[in-house]
Amino acid sequence: MSHEPFETLAAVYAAGALDGDDLVQFEAHLPGCAECQAAVREAQDTLARAMLSARPQTPLPAVREALVRRVERTRGAGRRAWLTWAAATAVVAAVAAGFTATWVAVRYEARLGQMARETAAVKERLARNEAALQEQVALYRGAVELLRDPATRVVDLRGQGTAASASGRMIWNDAGGGHLFVAGLPPAPAGKTYALWTISGGTPRAAGLFGVDASGRSAHRIAPEVARGAVGVFAVTLEPEGGTPAPTGPIVLASK
Amino acid sequence: MGTPGGDLIRVMAAGDRDAFARFYDRYAPFVFPFVLRIVRDRADAADVLQDVFWEAWRGAAAYDSARGTPEAWIITRARTRAIDRVRAVRRRGETFVAPVDEATVGAPTPPGGDAAVRAEERQLVASALAQLSQAQREIIELAYYSGLTQREIAERLEQPLGTVKTRIRLALARLREAVTPT
Repeated sequence: MSHEPFETLAAVYAAGALDGDDLVQFEAHLPGCAECQAAVREAQDTLARAMLSARPQTPLPAVREALVRRVERTRGAGRRAWLTWAAATAVVAAVAAGFTATWVAVRYEARLGQMARETAAVKERLARNEAALQEQVALYRGAVELLRDPATRVVDLRGQGTAASASGRMIWNDAGGGHLFVAGLPPAPAGKTYALWTISGGTPRAAGLFGVDASGRSAHRIAPEVARGAVGVFAVTLEPEGGTPAPTGPIVLASK
Repeated sequence: MGTPGGDLIRVMAAGDRDAFARFYDRYAPFVFPFVLRIVRDRADAADVLQDVFWEAWRGAAAYDSARGTPEAWIITRARTRAIDRVRAVRRRGETFVAPVDEATVGAPTPPGGDAAVRAEERQLVASALAQLSQAQREIIELAYYSGLTQREIAERLEQPLGTVKTRIRLALARLREAVTPT
């Protein structure tokens, strides 16, 4: 990845609007990149100066008074007063301290446990997301590799019968296998699955089973071993789960 | 201008209460309208302001000038607290607050917004933001004042995510020119 996209992410980050994978990616990049740190700093300073360029307006004096009183209390009570109090109440304090320590420990243990559980859950979710992304990237990369080969064909499949609104596109290479992308196919009924067939010389050959997601889409990879000899027609039928040696169900998608 | 802001913070970190008062007097008149612009309620804005400066007092020792200017330090903190407040108020549903994100877009008069708030909005127009185009101002307001993320902005403006990111970057570049003294 070139550095240019990070410069855009740095601006969005400084504006507080970065989210999702971009945020994860940028936060991983930022600690090691002086250039991005400078860009974020600079953008935050720009925003601050823009916000501070508005006409000033003095808040109610009560806010200042309350703050000043609060600040006085933090440091103003003085060490001596505390010592006097401590000496006078040493026994009570010791008992209270023991009690408090136990209470704090219990509270913190509970909180730490909760945080550990949350962290574990986040880690697990990230790992799952990453695995899913890797899988997708591998799939798309395979399809792109296939498209590089001039011998690769792209064949449209049309919906048939009850699935007339479905559509499919096959990226096919007689030597390298293929990728089938399907849209608009209703999810297969319980106990059924979709089966792809490659038909050459009138003989159908099984090319794998697949399901579709809730939106009716699917991406199905056909291994090179399946591609033996020139294929004339591609067809998808609805078959019992587990598949059959030859097509038995209705055709839902077919090429030509 | 007197003592630079960074020096004030350092003295504050050492426990100097006068430095805190000076820090407040210098920045509060700017932070207050900014917070008010986000939370849109004077009482809430006063609360947030108090929290922000209290945190600045407590956290002064952690300020690192290498990581940003005093202005960025206080404004970033103010923005976070103000947006938290808006979300909390909305969650509690105790008070009706015109959702900032809607109210700032196209800046129609918020229903029931008092005259003071409207006056503050007019004042803001006089600031550096006024030097942006309407579209640039809108995207900065959605991100910075309303706390929307890039995806939420893309959805709201019905624009591709990539476009939103680029627009934020360009708007910031323009804003930078606007705040840089020539």
